Amino acid sequence: MSDTLEIRKVSKLFGNLEALRSVDIKMEAGEFISIVGPSGCGKTTLMRIIAGLEEPDAGNVWIGGNKVTAPGPDRGFVFQSDSLLPWRTVWQNAALGLKLNGQLDAEATERVRNMLELTGLAGFESYWPKQLSGGMRQRVNLARALALDPAVLLMDEPFSALDAQTREIMQTELLRIWEVGRKTVLFITHQIDEAIFLSDRVVVLGRRPGRVREVIDVDLPRPRTLAMKRQPEFVAMVDRIWGLIETDVRNSVKEDATNAA
Amino acid sequence: MSAETTMNQPTDRPQKQVGFRRLFGGARTHRSQHTGFLSIAGGLVAWELVGRLVISNSLFLATPTQIAAQIYNLMRSGELFIHMGVSGAEFGIGLIISIILGIALGFLITTNKIANAILGPWISALYATPTVAIAPLIILWFGIGLWSKVFVVIINATFPMIINTEAGLRATDPKLIEAVRCFGASPLQVFWNVMLPSALPYILAGVRLSVGRAIVSVVVGELFGSRAGLGFMITQASEVFNMPRLFAAVVVLALVGVILTAGARYLERVLQPWNK
Ligand SMILES: Nc1ncnc2c1ncn2[C@@H]1O[C@H](COP(=O)(O)OP(=O)(O)OP(=O)(O)O)[C@@H](O)[C@H]1O
Ligand SMILES: [Mg+2]
Repeated sequence: MSDTLEIRKVSKLFGNLEALRSVDIKMEAGEFISIVGPSGCGKTTLMRIIAGLEEPDAGNVWIGGNKVTAPGPDRGFVFQSDSLLPWRTVWQNAALGLKLNGQLDAEATERVRNMLELTGLAGFESYWPKQLSGGMRQRVNLARALALDPAVLLMDEPFSALDAQTREIMQTELLRIWEVGRKTVLFITHQIDEAIFLSDRVVVLGRRPGRVREVIDVDLPRPRTLAMKRQPEFVAMVDRIWGLIETDVRNSVKEDATNAA
Repeated sequence: MSAETTMNQPTDRPQKQVGFRRLFGGARTHRSQHTGFLSIAGGLVAWELVGRLVISNSLFLATPTQIAAQIYNLMRSGELFIHMGVSGAEFGIGLIISIILGIALGFLITTNKIANAILGPWISALYATPTVAIAPLIILWFGIGLWSKVFVVIINATFPMIINTEAGLRATDPKLIEAVRCFGASPLQVFWNVMLPSALPYILAGVRLSVGRAIVSVVVGELFGSRAGLGFMITQASEVFNMPRLFAAVVVLALVGVILTAGARYLERVLQPWNK
């Protein structure tokens, strides 16, 4: 199952800090969108609002025809930090969402098995998370989110803790898995090339206030290969996005430095 | 089916669990057990020699051989087991109630602000108070039967359970709670799936502390009023200056303490296989 995701004029204030101002993004079912932007521009806040963990001060979020009011199994999450339960095996972690929702029937069990296979984890079902590498753990997180068969998949910097090589492998793996189910995916990253490589569109956010600065269409053909990252059009796109956020990033670094002093 | 054969990415081998701690900790434990054994054996020999050559009056000191003989006789007559049974029942009932009560109260004050405001100060105050001192009072209230001792155990062994349960629940990673909530977990599911397993190491450490406190409580309770039990044996023997009998009871108590503590440690490993 895959559905549309509409973020309608969402604003969020923390005290007098304007974390998000009227953010408006409409996603087709099966579309892959990445969000890039300097640190502190409100990416995680936006994700938490979509999750239903945080309420917007204005605007709202719609999935299919339903307005988001609370967390729910129609959204699958892959978090930046490792959020596997250390006291559950790979299998139990992957089946967690289904079990919590009382949906772990024969069909769902089969889906968990498929997802573990798809993410290259077949044979590791009885391992504890502690016994896995970082890349494997993040794949369990992905399998866990996919096993719920959510309408949209939300990923907040899922690969940021991985080394550069594993990260590139995980990008191609993610696309391979995505091609199978074609979920609607909203993907947050700091890495511009990662955003372009994965996405149909890249949304560039600015900071203070957090707002959409530009939406860039990526018309590279699919399936994508790592070699595309070396193509001139790809490199030009990276430069263009970097140009959009450079001053913001410099300001954010400067601000952090003065705050620290 | 072997895990290795189905793997498609050799770079993602599961990390071997032979860490620094395991390698060195393991070796050290073995050696320190050896040393510990020698130390105990040496102490016993010294004790025996002092008892025979220096303080040979058996009104003041019993030697290890005398104590061993006494324990053997008490076992043969079955008397020891009667006393152990009585103390064991007081200990067991008291400890189980303490554990359940402690976990429940620990959970209550962690999740309910009002309960914490009301009970918190009492718990902190009573945790640090040697409540075993009011054992005579409790015997006075509840008589010399089983339940007075159970009560003494409860007022002493519950507090480490409460304190540890609270610390464990509060140490739960908020990110894990949030993640599970995102998958649609109810508050009760969050408790069972995240908070309780996360607090388990603390809770089990609390059990270990409570075991020690419960043993002391049983003995002290029996000292002040009872008809049977290991503490009763001690009082009785000291009144007639029967040193071998007195020491026999003390040694049995010490052995039981060691075994129960080891049992608690074993439980900590068995109940948390993910921490191997
Ligand atoms: N609960 C909160 N209370 C107050 N301020 C908050 C809260 N959460 C976030 N903020 C502020 O809102 C702004 C946006 O934070 P957010 O975490 O969404 O940024 P981000 O784009 O995800 O940053 P990063 O790339 O570093 O993860 C920041 O200035 C942050 O300090
Ligand atoms: Mg963030």
